[in-house]
Amino acid sequence: MKYQPQALIAEVTHRCPLHCVYCSNPLEMQRRSEELPTADWMSIFQQAGEMGVLQLHLTGGEPLARADLNQLVKAGRSAGLYINIITSGVGLDGPRLDGLIEAGLDHIQLSFQDIEEGPANEFSGTRSHALKLKMAAMIRERRVGFTLNMVVHRSNLSRLEEMIQFAEQSGAQRVEIAHVQYYGWALKNRDALLPTRAQVDRSIEIVEAARCRLKGRLRIDFVLPDYYAKYPKPCMNGWGHQLMLIDPAGRVLPCHAAGVIPGLEFSNTREHPLRWIWDESPAFNRFRDESWMKDPCRTCDRRTRDFGGCRCQALLLTGDATATDPVCTLAPSHSVVERILAQVNGQKPEWVYRIDPV
Amino acid sequence: MSEVAHNSILRLAPGCRLSEHGAPEDLLLIPEGALRMQGPARKIVELCNGERSVQEIIGELQHRYGSEDAARIETETLALLTRLRERGVLEFV
Repeated sequence: MKYQPQALIAEVTHRCPLHCVYCSNPLEMQRRSEELPTADWMSIFQQAGEMGVLQLHLTGGEPLARADLNQLVKAGRSAGLYINIITSGVGLDGPRLDGLIEAGLDHIQLSFQDIEEGPANEFSGTRSHALKLKMAAMIRERRVGFTLNMVVHRSNLSRLEEMIQFAEQSGAQRVEIAHVQYYGWALKNRDALLPTRAQVDRSIEIVEAARCRLKGRLRIDFVLPDYYAKYPKPCMNGWGHQLMLIDPAGRVLPCHAAGVIPGLEFSNTREHPLRWIWDESPAFNRFRDESWMKDPCRTCDRRTRDFGGCRCQALLLTGDATATDPVCTLAPSHSVVERILAQVNGQKPEWVYRIDPV
Repeated sequence: MSEVAHNSILRLAPGCRLSEHGAPEDLLLIPEGALRMQGPARKIVELCNGERSVQEIIGELQHRYGSEDAARIETETLALLTRLRERGVLEFV
């Protein structure tokens, strides 16, 4: 079976002015001195375009921390890619934004941590909320695709309706309401972030009602917390099926978190062509088909839909990357998730903040 | 939300564009991915330039593809534009 990559996530730096309590970057971040130079990224985008990749998501860390972002956008466009930047907005101003649009930027995804300044700054570990509001207004004045990203969890779900109202007036065409996923730094703060089942149910009602009300005006993408799901998510739509991620140092992974899986060696763009890494490298083929599956996945009707769930989550929660994703109610290890959920309470969280790589 | 009508004037919404001419496949690139542009779909979207009315677009297509299919061209064009409008890919001017 041949797999066609659709999107490339380029983590162009791990440096970031924010210190979000649910940061999805790996625990071990790449230093600035390890970052790929401009020319390497340009070659990667060219190779990706030739492989039929459609979309390039420039992310980080904070992609604006790269002084050559404009060149990267231009290189992506010349390679025929659709260019999105995923940003906190910190480091942006009018002229820089105009320059990026001029260079061929198609779309900006701007993150918000809350709708109220106090909590927003608490969750991001920085005083960034007021600046983000200015950036949203600035983006709205220009002709570029605009999505707001709102990360939700136990301590801000009570303001979900206000978040959607804000999105409605922000000029964005889309809003992504994403419950925190428990990888990277978010796993460290999981007990403080996990919502109650009642909060999750309420969030579904709110989003459904808003989707009806805003149909044709604002699209709402909604990511549920899979700990509460009956069946696992089709993680990345399958390992190595559609998506690849390149870290700041050039390591190519099937997802953000795969670096946690022991025994896998992720090839580097400094040493191999992207095409070889995608088609041939052992790490990309490790969980691509169904041969790794054990019971109950091996014979389950849902295996072609959810691919056994998330390999990283299986590893993080059971210690075995080949186990059924324990969020699945059919998984032998599902009690692990039940025990975690049984401890969810309404107490005021104490955050563990991460620091930036040098 | 208003409906796509004969006097509507449409253009691509910000963040949506057609793939370059000469690309391996005709696609409409959008924030969430891409839509395949089959048959005359690309031509129809190209005609939505923020100046022509839907009526004028239908007229051009009927002229281009032959008027014996006039009724079908009208129905299918309206259906495509309505779908793309509801998806937020096209916007009213």
